[in-house]
Amino acid sequence: MRIPAMVRIFLLLLAVASPALLRAQFQQPTGEELAMTADPKAPGAAAVYLNIEEITNDQQHIHSYYARIKVLTEKGKELATVELPYIQGKTMITDIKARTIHSDGTVIPLSGKPEDLLIVKTLSKDGDPLQVSQKVFTLPSVEVGSILEYRFEIRYDENLYSSPFWEIQRSYFIHQAHYAFTPFKAFMNGSHNATSSYLLDKHMNAVSTLIWRTILPAGLAVKVDFIGRYSLDLTDIPPKPEEEWMPPVESILYKVYFYYSSSSNQSNFWVSETKYWSKDVDRFAEPTGPIKQAVAALIAPGDSDLDKAKKLYTAVQNLDNTNFSRKKSEAELKQLKLKAAKRAEDTWAQKSGSSQDIALLYLAMLRAAGLTAYDMKVADRSERVFDPSYLNFDQLDDDLVTVIIGGKEIFLDPGEKMCPFQTVHWKHSGATGIRQGTDGRSFLTSPPQAYIDNKIVRTGEIALDAHGAVTGNIRFVMTGQEALHWRQTALRNDLDEVKKQFDHSLEPIVPEGVETHVDHFLGLDNPDVNLIAIVNVHGTLGAATSKRLLLPGFFFETRSGHPFINEEKRLVPVDMQFGDQVSDQIVYRLPAGFTVEGQPQDTKIPWQGHAVLVNTFKAEPDQITVTRTLARAFTFAKPEEYQDLRGFYQKIAAADQQQLVLTRTPVAQGN
Amino acid sequence: MGNPRSSKAIPVRVLLAGLLLCACAPSHAGWFGSDKQPIPQWGLDAYKTHTPDYAKDAAAVILFDEYVETVDDQGRAVERERIVKRILKPQGRRDAACGVSYDVDEKVNYFHAWTIAADEKQYQAQDTDFVDVGNTGIPIMLSTRKARVVHPPAADVGAVVICESEELLEPYLQETVWGIQTSIPFVFQALEVDLPAGRTHSEAWHRFPPVKPVEVAPNHWRWEIKDMPALDLRELRSGPEWQALAARMSVQWGDAAVEGKDNQWRAIGQWVTNLEANRPDPSPEITSQTQSLIAGAPDFYAKLSRITEYIQKNVRYFIVMRGIGGLQANHAADIYRNRYGDCKDKTTLLISMLQVAGIHAFYMPVDDHRDIVDPDAPSLEGNHMITAIEIPADVQDPRLKAIAKARDGKRYLIFDPTNQRTPVGNLPYYEQGSYGILATGASSQIIALPVLEPDTSIKDSKGAFTLTADGTLTGSVDTSQTGSAGANIRYLIKDTDEKERREYWERVVAETLPGVTLDSFEFVEPSALDKPIELHYKVTARQYSHQAGPLVLVRPRVLGTDARPFDDKPRIYPIDLNATGRWRDSFDIAIPPGYAVDETPDPVSLDLDFASYHSSVSAKGNLLHYEREYVVRQVELPAARASDFRHLESVILSDEKNAAVLKKQ
Repeated sequence: MRIPAMVRIFLLLLAVASPALLRAQFQQPTGEELAMTADPKAPGAAAVYLNIEEITNDQQHIHSYYARIKVLTEKGKELATVELPYIQGKTMITDIKARTIHSDGTVIPLSGKPEDLLIVKTLSKDGDPLQVSQKVFTLPSVEVGSILEYRFEIRYDENLYSSPFWEIQRSYFIHQAHYAFTPFKAFMNGSHNATSSYLLDKHMNAVSTLIWRTILPAGLAVKVDFIGRYSLDLTDIPPKPEEEWMPPVESILYKVYFYYSSSSNQSNFWVSETKYWSKDVDRFAEPTGPIKQAVAALIAPGDSDLDKAKKLYTAVQNLDNTNFSRKKSEAELKQLKLKAAKRAEDTWAQKSGSSQDIALLYLAMLRAAGLTAYDMKVADRSERVFDPSYLNFDQLDDDLVTVIIGGKEIFLDPGEKMCPFQTVHWKHSGATGIRQGTDGRSFLTSPPQAYIDNKIVRTGEIALDAHGAVTGNIRFVMTGQEALHWRQTALRNDLDEVKKQFDHSLEPIVPEGVETHVDHFLGLDNPDVNLIAIVNVHGTLGAATSKRLLLPGFFFETRSGHPFINEEKRLVPVDMQFGDQVSDQIVYRLPAGFTVEGQPQDTKIPWQGHAVLVNTFKAEPDQITVTRTLARAFTFAKPEEYQDLRGFYQKIAAADQQQLVLTRTPVAQGN
Repeated sequence: MGNPRSSKAIPVRVLLAGLLLCACAPSHAGWFGSDKQPIPQWGLDAYKTHTPDYAKDAAAVILFDEYVETVDDQGRAVERERIVKRILKPQGRRDAACGVSYDVDEKVNYFHAWTIAADEKQYQAQDTDFVDVGNTGIPIMLSTRKARVVHPPAADVGAVVICESEELLEPYLQETVWGIQTSIPFVFQALEVDLPAGRTHSEAWHRFPPVKPVEVAPNHWRWEIKDMPALDLRELRSGPEWQALAARMSVQWGDAAVEGKDNQWRAIGQWVTNLEANRPDPSPEITSQTQSLIAGAPDFYAKLSRITEYIQKNVRYFIVMRGIGGLQANHAADIYRNRYGDCKDKTTLLISMLQVAGIHAFYMPVDDHRDIVDPDAPSLEGNHMITAIEIPADVQDPRLKAIAKARDGKRYLIFDPTNQRTPVGNLPYYEQGSYGILATGASSQIIALPVLEPDTSIKDSKGAFTLTADGTLTGSVDTSQTGSAGANIRYLIKDTDEKERREYWERVVAETLPGVTLDSFEFVEPSALDKPIELHYKVTARQYSHQAGPLVLVRPRVLGTDARPFDDKPRIYPIDLNATGRWRDSFDIAIPPGYAVDETPDPVSLDLDFASYHSSVSAKGNLLHYEREYVVRQVELPAARASDFRHLESVILSDEKNAAVLKKQ
């Protein structure tokens, strides 16, 4: 009998729900648990999990969950409502039992049937119905001090098999967690593995190995007993961290993932998967006749390799990229008698494709032009961090193209519309993935962003009157990621809307009482030049006294939105997406009769090897010029570097609050 | 409570959630788009409509939108919608989807969609272009409402989308609310109500002059509106809620289809009264609990506050919207047993317990934003339920502040049991100045909710700080808050754990004191809701004062802001002042030895009918003293008062930015 391995998607969905299972019965709470009003192990917590259990018996096609929760504050009552998503038809949620126990020991059982609510119902590409629903119940009579206890089971079809993903960390502290897994018989030991069934993976290869991947606290490991059952017991699990500028949080949480695999180990998995992927890429990106013909029309015989690469890049960038416009639906393609692109030549013929289609078209064109080029599949750094021990090719989201020119490998991002040649979107920079190559494949990390490539220069002249009213304009010159952001915004919105959004982005950084409105952009539709925004300024700046006019030293920093100032400790690394440099040069034209009485001193605040702030002030009889440059060369910082990082931003925050003082010049008295 | 079944009001919200989901999960529903049908003539006709000049800046424009409500003898309606829209800009693609909202008692009979692309090619939506989405995005809500959404093919800039749907509506509502204004403009829209012989109708208009209907067939009425502009409030500062400003019309064909607004409100109130009849009947457990709560209570207020506080503290907020359950409360006995419920459930349990205590109380449907319930537009439009508690004639208690008087002279204390932190006697600021339906059976009426005196919501902040020569400011702040202001802080405590509270408070303080470190903080929250809540905290702000050559600049208003957003654009919409109240700050800053105050800002004194603002800075010895008082007496101003509002706000902003100048001796 051939039994296919189970599609694991429902487990991913279940991971959205936070619950978990029980061995058999509810537990009798201890007197200490009932009396608990706060938890010294989780000071200030709104609730804690006393127990979590998750038991998978894949031979019986059951995942069982159990949770016991102590509510410590009003906010903790939110855990009384439990949502259990599932896929209709493939899985069933059964045996839901729940109860509330008051701190005096009174037990109030869940009565009534949980609601079964639709989340989404749709048709798959193949026309099969797909419905995701959720069972929802809310526990009765929940008070601060209550213990909430529930269990349920997920049952799946007899011809489906599923290895568990244990997502261990939750939003609240966990005292005790128990996990167990009895795998498909073939993976048991000794006489327990007697079975005539076997599993097949999606490539129809026989599944021969059980692999597991762990991120666990030091010293902890999954245990295997003599017959091949797996278990894990943990205590005192901290809640999910929540800190500013974190890397994608899923990459750092405690977890154990089991895989039924046709590969014997992790390395073989990637070799095998990459082979399939690379074959698909090469088939799609084959430089067929139409591609060669198109390339011949785009490049000239005397072009250098770099020029060829540039010209072809421009050609594919000019196509309709449906990730930035609109994807044609199945029905639309059918009515247009078009097919979803299966080859690069289809994308070229349709003059339209997804980011991936366009990247692979570019690859095909480079190859047609005789250049050595490869596809590189990377994880989208805004979503996740690539983890080779996580045996899932789908963690690699997007396609870069690399080309060898003059012996040097260049990284290109043709699927990101408006991305200049040799610039990649930050979410694809410093991103690890897999690249094709002469040796078949290799893990590779794309180059990080150089801070100097991501610049914002704001220069302006602001005229002041004697009461602090200001008028003027400021020119924003943007390169790199900031320019890319606004150009991509302009692909999805018209110019008026982009202006509104740009104005909106300035509101939190201009001084209170001052309004800024973008007048026009230059270069919004040309990725190969600087993007310029001309911004008009008017309003009231600073404060006037009878003798003086007091002004903020730095026009854009009065509201000080610096990160890390208030966060004393750091648990996880800092990820600021990309490095950049922001420079300001603002000239204040002084009102007649005023002179500069006081100005801050020039300042240089370095964080050696990472970042630097430089401020200067130059007073002249009728104007003062203020410059400020913050160069941030780092993108990541380790927790052990955090105090230096924080100290740097604290100094910047203080420096940015400095002020200018103008004094009214006494008027000569007549006699 | 949920909204009334307003075929155009509810779906907007549901669809929003739906559309978001659809963005990542396209397609569905086998029986909706599969029949090949040509574009109907009405769609082709509407397609020919030119985009008017006033719509050229819009993301999309609705060329034609027509609802036909066919009502049967029992008052149940079948609704057909035909809509045609043109996508004008890239961001208009998101307006291309059409949707139908439905619940357990409703049925979508058919749903078709077509597109005429910019190149005039014609498309019909297929099964895979449809998707059904549940209303499951809110963790504290259980809702059975769903939306069927179609993403028409080829819906790109320049394309025209044509959709037609028909739905059997729920049997229990005999009203439709016609949302005639949205975020994109309409060129033409129409509503038809086809009534059985002998049935009457009434209509009401909100923020739009009434349009006379045409009787296109016997008892079949048609209203038409042309050229309705979009309502875009993104740039509006200190404005009312979008829904309050959007034009709408409602038609009644049930008991409320009578002459005269008072009669219509009476009928609506009677309908609510009937719907909730017997729901508050007390069970023995409720009776026993209530008797135990009020035992020994010396007066009306004591009885009342013991019951209201019990409900506020012990009944968890959880919304249940299942068909008519979106409008009708659960039985009091079930609510009491489960200790959870939504606004109408909390009101039900409150009425039940008050009944045991011999106090009469009534349902009062409202909206939790001002100006949505419109006394001139009788309708069930609204999203919330509160309680009107009859005050016996002999009770005169100054603690009962939120009092509204009915036409018969009876006084009612307006109370919101869903707001778990506003004490009885007071009223949440967002309900003040609004309207509610006093559902007292045959004497039901629309009633204005009170605007409370400033002294019902007071915040006092006192700070003592020391400034060192290096510019560091350290000090402590003690605040005390009552009324609505206090309720907000109590909600903060309720909804956050200690870490979140600290982070939140640090953010709040840092908004006006950049670079601050919160050294410690402590909330003192008395159990009784009518007692002030206190917050004591200590701060350190490095480089608080700024050296400017020989001078040192110090901002006497150390933290907190009373300023509201404003601009200098011409104003056509009312100004929302948020809440009445009295806010007082008193800060002392000890300046570093060796320095003297060279200049202080001038005092500020502004008195207007709706607000006043006074502040002063003085120097005595080494102490720089700042104090101010801000009083707001109204919750809303007409647009014509914009210049007064701007003047007030610029005075506040200027005062808050002022600095004292110190000189080294």
